[in-house]
Amino acid sequence: MGVVIAVISGKGGVGKTTASANIGLGIAQNDKKCVVVDFDIGQRNLDMILGLENRVVYDLVQVMDKEASLRQALIRSKANPNMFFLAASQTKDKSVLESSKVQKLINNLKKEFDFVILDSPAGIESGYEHTIEFADVAVVVVNPEVSSIRDADRAIGILDSKSQKVKEGHDVGKYLIINRIIPKMVQSGEMLRSEDILDILSIPLIGKVPEDKGVIDASNQGKPIILNKNSGAGQAYQRIANRLCGQDIPIYDIEADEKGLFSKLAGMFH
Amino acid sequence: MKGNQFSVKIYETMIESIEDEVEFISFFDTNYELFKDHLISIKGEISRDMKDYLSDKSLYYIQNTNIPKSRSKKEIKDTIEAEQIKSEQNQKDIEDELAKLSHRLQNNLKVLDTIVRSGQELKIDGDLLLLNRVNSGATIETSGNLIITQVVEGDIRCNGGFLMVNASQKANIIFNGIVVENEKLEDRLNRIELKNHRLVITPVLKKEINWA
Repeated sequence: MGVVIAVISGKGGVGKTTASANIGLGIAQNDKKCVVVDFDIGQRNLDMILGLENRVVYDLVQVMDKEASLRQALIRSKANPNMFFLAASQTKDKSVLESSKVQKLINNLKKEFDFVILDSPAGIESGYEHTIEFADVAVVVVNPEVSSIRDADRAIGILDSKSQKVKEGHDVGKYLIINRIIPKMVQSGEMLRSEDILDILSIPLIGKVPEDKGVIDASNQGKPIILNKNSGAGQAYQRIANRLCGQDIPIYDIEADEKGLFSKLAGMFH
Repeated sequence: MKGNQFSVKIYETMIESIEDEVEFISFFDTNYELFKDHLISIKGEISRDMKDYLSDKSLYYIQNTNIPKSRSKKEIKDTIEAEQIKSEQNQKDIEDELAKLSHRLQNNLKVLDTIVRSGQELKIDGDLLLLNRVNSGATIETSGNLIITQVVEGDIRCNGGFLMVNASQKANIIFNGIVVENEKLEDRLNRIELKNHRLVITPVLKKEINWA
């Protein structure tokens, strides 16, 4: 049986969808069969970021309503044959989701795949609750800013009370990704430090992703940044995916990294 | 005095209108053999025709009388059980009340080591010792004393005798309806209480005694 990972954040625009796409590809590059499901019904984006928008024929609502089979709706990624994608409906809204149907879909996906990644919608209403209800693990994406952290805190609180696993008396795994870190701003004290964020949220860190201008272009091109081996964000996502696959990789201190890089460059000119 | 005890079969009927009477008469005509030895108990008023019919057939009847009916075994059992449950419930209520009272005497101290996250609301009837963070957007309300050893960034409503918190820039602290200004808190555990209706804040001093 596969592992169900919900990618959540509370606040919108912090990089959930980007993280879902990149982690999915990173896991596939570990030779694991992986499906990324867009749960943001009515506002689907993941298809564009994966560069699969022209391939979407059936969506997950049609699968849940038995208008299409799972096999018909699954789209194989161009970048990696181990990775599949299930699109959200663009015409319906979040109210169409029903617990029993969501559970059935997720159970079917768990049988087929090693990893099922659910890209949660922003906010904390029904769409979010359906995403986390049957998840084994939640990956919480935050930006180093107060509003993102408070919203994530709220989302974790809801996760702890609404998750099926918690209701059955188990713990739901929670891991933190700090996204869009600008090392220079952290060093100068303008941006929240990772230690402070971890203090507030009190969940284990699974990766730090630096701000990377390449991410925007990668999204526009439909080629996730992880495919660019030279990108700092891409490398960070690969490390996160490897950690999720069970590899023991120490957390890379990217805040110190840039300083190191600059002193290295400075050293070259001397 | 001599006495005999015997059972009488009673047919009880309710007469509300003239139609009921017609129905009664036709019913008795057909079932006369079956009911002729019964005492007839009639609820409601009856007409002259009806009375004539009953005396014609020489049927005895009583009108609007409450006849003591024997209860079935099950009914009796049920009543006894219901009474038992009631007395058990009463006993439990008394015990609960006593437990509450003894709790009140200890001020019902609760010790919690859970992080209180944004959007979560903790309402405690009694004292609370909290060993974990109160995040921004969370609310804690106590009717008794409150001690929080960790960082506080949420809303605190304490209505007890004293409140102990660390200094905080972000917390919104109200003690017995009075706003506690964050600047007045020192960078350590502060004890907040009311003396003569005035807020008194005493920092818990970390004084080291010099024995030499």
